[in-house]
Amino acid sequence: MIELKNVTRRFGQTVAVDHIDLTVETGEVCVLVGSSGCGKSTTLRMINRLLPASSGEILVDGEDVTGMDLQRLRLNMGYAIQGTGLFPHWSVARNIALVPRLLKWPKERIDARVTELLQMLEMDPASFADKYPQQLSGGQAQRVGVARALAADPNILLMDEPFGALDAITRENLQLEMLRLQRQLKKTTVFVTHDIDEALRLATRIAVMDQGRIVQHDTPENILRRPASDFVENLVGKQDRGLKLMALRPVRDLMTPHDKPRPAEPGADGLKEDDSLRLALSVMLWQDLRQVAVFDHQGNETGVLLRERLIEGGV
Amino acid sequence: MRIWRTPVLWLAVLLALTLGMDGLEPLFRLIQPDTQSVIYQRETFLFLLGNHVLLVLISATIGTFAAVAGGIFATRPSGRDFLPLVSQIASIGQTFPPVAVLALAVPVLGFGEGPTLVALVLYGLLPVLRNTLAGLDGIDPAVTEAARGMGMSARQVLFQVEIPLAGRVILAGIRTSVTINIATAAIGSTIGARTLGDPVIAGLVNGNTAYVLQGALLIGLLALMTDSLFEALEKLWARRLAPTVSPA
Amino acid sequence: MPSLDEPPNRVITVLGLLALVLVWVLDLGTVQPNRIVPGTGYGLFAAAGWLGAVTVSAGLCVLMALAVLPLRRRYTLLGILLTLALAALPDLLVIFTSAHLPKDSPYARTAVGAGFWSLLFLLVLMLIEVVGRLRIGRRGQLGILVVILAGWALLIRQGGLDSLSLMREFSNRPDQFLQALWAHLALALGAVAISFVLAFALVLKMMRSEAWRRPVFGVVSFLQTIPSLALFGLLIAPLSALTAAFPLLQSLGIRGIGWAPALLALIAYSLLPMVRNTFVALTEVPEAVIDAGRGMGMTERQLFLQARLPLAIPVIIEGVRITAIQAMGLTAVAALIGAGGFGTFIFQGLGQAAMDLVMLGALPTIGLAIAADVVLSTLANALQPRPAAALPQ
Repeated sequence: MIELKNVTRRFGQTVAVDHIDLTVETGEVCVLVGSSGCGKSTTLRMINRLLPASSGEILVDGEDVTGMDLQRLRLNMGYAIQGTGLFPHWSVARNIALVPRLLKWPKERIDARVTELLQMLEMDPASFADKYPQQLSGGQAQRVGVARALAADPNILLMDEPFGALDAITRENLQLEMLRLQRQLKKTTVFVTHDIDEALRLATRIAVMDQGRIVQHDTPENILRRPASDFVENLVGKQDRGLKLMALRPVRDLMTPHDKPRPAEPGADGLKEDDSLRLALSVMLWQDLRQVAVFDHQGNETGVLLRERLIEGGV
Repeated sequence: MRIWRTPVLWLAVLLALTLGMDGLEPLFRLIQPDTQSVIYQRETFLFLLGNHVLLVLISATIGTFAAVAGGIFATRPSGRDFLPLVSQIASIGQTFPPVAVLALAVPVLGFGEGPTLVALVLYGLLPVLRNTLAGLDGIDPAVTEAARGMGMSARQVLFQVEIPLAGRVILAGIRTSVTINIATAAIGSTIGARTLGDPVIAGLVNGNTAYVLQGALLIGLLALMTDSLFEALEKLWARRLAPTVSPA
Repeated sequence: MPSLDEPPNRVITVLGLLALVLVWVLDLGTVQPNRIVPGTGYGLFAAAGWLGAVTVSAGLCVLMALAVLPLRRRYTLLGILLTLALAALPDLLVIFTSAHLPKDSPYARTAVGAGFWSLLFLLVLMLIEVVGRLRIGRRGQLGILVVILAGWALLIRQGGLDSLSLMREFSNRPDQFLQALWAHLALALGAVAISFVLAFALVLKMMRSEAWRRPVFGVVSFLQTIPSLALFGLLIAPLSALTAAFPLLQSLGIRGIGWAPALLALIAYSLLPMVRNTFVALTEVPEAVIDAGRGMGMTERQLFLQARLPLAIPVIIEGVRITAIQAMGLTAVAALIGAGGFGTFIFQGLGQAAMDLVMLGALPTIGLAIAADVVLSTLANALQPRPAAALPQ
C-alpha cells in the first residue's frame, strides 16, 4: 500500500504538487492522469524519491520513505519510463538482470528469471536475450523495459508514461499485455499517463490531476458517470462518454447465455466474452446484425448478445 | 586480431628505422654530400624515441585522469555550478596555440623535460575534458533516470552506465590530445626536452638536411603508428560495447 | 530568470578565494638589473605598498561578498565591477615599477610576476562565469572586451608600463615587431585563403562524384596526423631538390627553407577542417528544403545559390575559424624553418634565454589566435539565418 499524506513539491517559486492526499491499495492499479505539467510525474517520482517531497509524508506499507535507505527503497520498486531507458551497452538479458544483479542473486537464479520474464512477455529467449536495445522495435524495447521493472519481483510498480512514445497499435497491444500480467501478478501499480483512454482501460482507480492537485480520485466508471468538475468532464469527453463506458464493460455482462456451450460452426463470426460492449456495438452497426454470437476462450459458443439489450443496458 | 595489423605494421617500420638508420647512410649521403656526418649521433634514435614516447605517455595519463575527473565533478550535482565555466575553459583553452603554451612554460618553470611535461599535461587536458563533458552530456537522460530509479547508487550509475556510454567520445578526446602532444613534444626539444625533435632542430641550426629528414621521418612514423593504434582501439571499443545494428 | 532570491554563486567564491591566496603567496613582479640576470621578486605588499595590497584584497572580498549575499542584481553588479577591475589591473604594475625600479640604472627592468598573471587569469575566469550567467550576447561581450582593452591601451600610451621588460623588448625592435606581425598574418591568412579555395573546389568535385569522397578524406586526415615539425622538415628536402633543378624557382624566392615549405605545410594542415566543414555544410542541408525548392521548379543552380549556400555559410565559416586558429599557432612553429613571424621571437628568446623576448612572441601569437576566434565566430553568428531575415522584405 502507498499513502501520500498532504504532500507538496515546490520548484523554486512554483508549486508542482500542491498538498495532495492519495492512497493506493495493495494490488490495485492507480492511474495518475492529467495534461502535461499537472504534477503527475512529479508525484510518481516522489514515491521512489527521485525527487524529495518538499513537505508531507509518503508511506510505503506504513513506512515513511524519507527514513528508508534509498537503494533499498528503489530496489523494491519496479520502475518503467517513457523511452525505456534501457542501457544501450548491455544486452537484453543483462538489462533485465539489472536489479537481480544489484541484489546479488546467484547467476543460475538470474538466468532462470530472465528466461521466465522473456517468456512471460512473449519474447523468445533464444532470439532476444543476446540482442542489444538498439536492435529492438519500439514495442519490443518497451516490453524489455517492463520485464526489467518486474525482474526482482517487486511489490510495487511505478510506470511513467511507459507507452507514451509508441504507435497506436503497439500501444494497444502492450496495454492488453499489461492487463493480462496484472491479473496474474497483482502488483501495486502507480501508472502515469496523459491519455484518458489508457487510464480508463488500465486503472482500478484513476486520480485526475490538474495544477498540482488531485481533482477526482475514483473508479473509471464513476469518473465517467459522475465527473467531479467541468475539467474532468472535458477530459473524459462530454459527448462520447457513452461509448467510453461501454468500452469498460465486457460482453459477458450483457450476453444471453446458452444452457450449455455449443461447439462453434467452422468459420462462424462472433465476439469473445472479454471483448468490450463498445466493440460489440461497432460490429453490429457495421454488419447490421440484431444479435451476435459470443465465444469463450476455447472457441465454444456460450451465448448471444442481443442489440436491444445492448442499447438498453449498455451504459 | 586483424584490427591490430596496421598499428603493428607502423610500429615495425618505426622500430626498423630507429635501429637501422645507420644502414641508410648512403641514401642520406646523396642528400647531404658535402658534410662529414650524415647520421645524427648526439643521442641514439632509440633513446630519443623512448624519451619522446615517455613524455607523451606520462602527460596523456596525467591529463586524462585530471580531465575525466574534472569532467565527472562538473557533471555531478555537487559540481554542477562549475559546469558552464569548465566547459568554457575547455573550448577557449583550445584557442591557445600549443607552441605558445610551451613557450610560456619556460619563463615560469625553466628549461628541460619538466616544463615540457607541464605544458603537455595542461594542453592535452583540454580535448579530453571537452569530450568527457560532451560524452556525459550526450547520454539519453532516460537511461540515467532509469538507472537511478531502479536503485543503482550514484557510484554504480557512474561506473556501470555513464562512463561506459561516454567512453567512446572520451577515447576520441584522448586520441586528439595524444596527436597534439606528439607534435608539441617534438617542438619541446627547443626548450631542452630530448625528443625526436632534436635531430630536426639540430639539422635546421647546422643546415644539415639529412638530420632534419631523420627526425621528421621518425616523428611522422610515431604519429601514424599512434593514430592507427587509436583507430584500432576505437574499433575494438565499438565492437565490445555498441554492436552494430543488424538489418532487421 | 532573475528573481528576488538568486542563489549564491559558489564558482565566483572559489575563484575569489584562490585569487586572494595566490596574489599574497606569489610574486607580483620582479626587478632585473639587466636583460639576462634573474631578478628579485616582490610580493603583493612589498610591490604595491599597503594601499595597493588593501585595494586588491578588499576588491576580491567585495567580489566574493557580491557572489554570496542575497542580492537582486548580483551578476550585473559583478559584471561591472569585474570589467572595471580588469581594465584597471595594469595600474598595479605601474605602482610597482614607480616604487621599485632603480632610477639610475638604464638597463634595469621590471617583469610581470606569477601573482599578477594568476590574478589576471582568475579575474578573466570570473568574468567568463558572469557573462555566461547573464547570457550576454556577442555584442555585449565585444563591448566588455573593448572597455578592458581601452583601459590597457590608455595606460600604455601614458607610458606607465615603459620600464616593463616586455615593453622594453618591444621598443627595442618596433620595426621587427611589425614585420613579424605582417609575416605572421600573411602566412597564416594566405594559407587559410588558399586552402579555402582548394577545399571548396575539392568539395564541389566530391559532391558530384562519390568516388572522390573517401580518397580525399583519407589524404587530408593523413596530412593532419603528421606532426607540424615533421611536415616542415619533410618538405625541406624535396623543395631544395626542386630549386636546385630549376634555378628559376630560386629567383622567385622559393627555397627549401623559408616561406615556401611553411606555406605548403600550413595549407596541408588547413585542408582537413576546411574540407570537412564545407562538405558537411553543403551536403547536410535538410532534404525537405531541397525537395521543396526542386518541387517549386528551382534549377539546381538556383538551389545551390539560394538554398544550400546560405544555409551552409555558418558551418563553412566555423571551418574557417578552426583553420585560422590552427594556422596562427602553426605559423609560429614555421619560424623554425625561417618563415618569419612571431615564432622568430619565441625561438630567438629561447636560444638566448631571454624570457621576455619569448613572451613578446608567445603573447601576440595567442592574441592573434583569439582575435581570429572572436572575429570569425562573430561573423558566423551574424550570418546565421534568423527568423527575421527569412521574412519577405
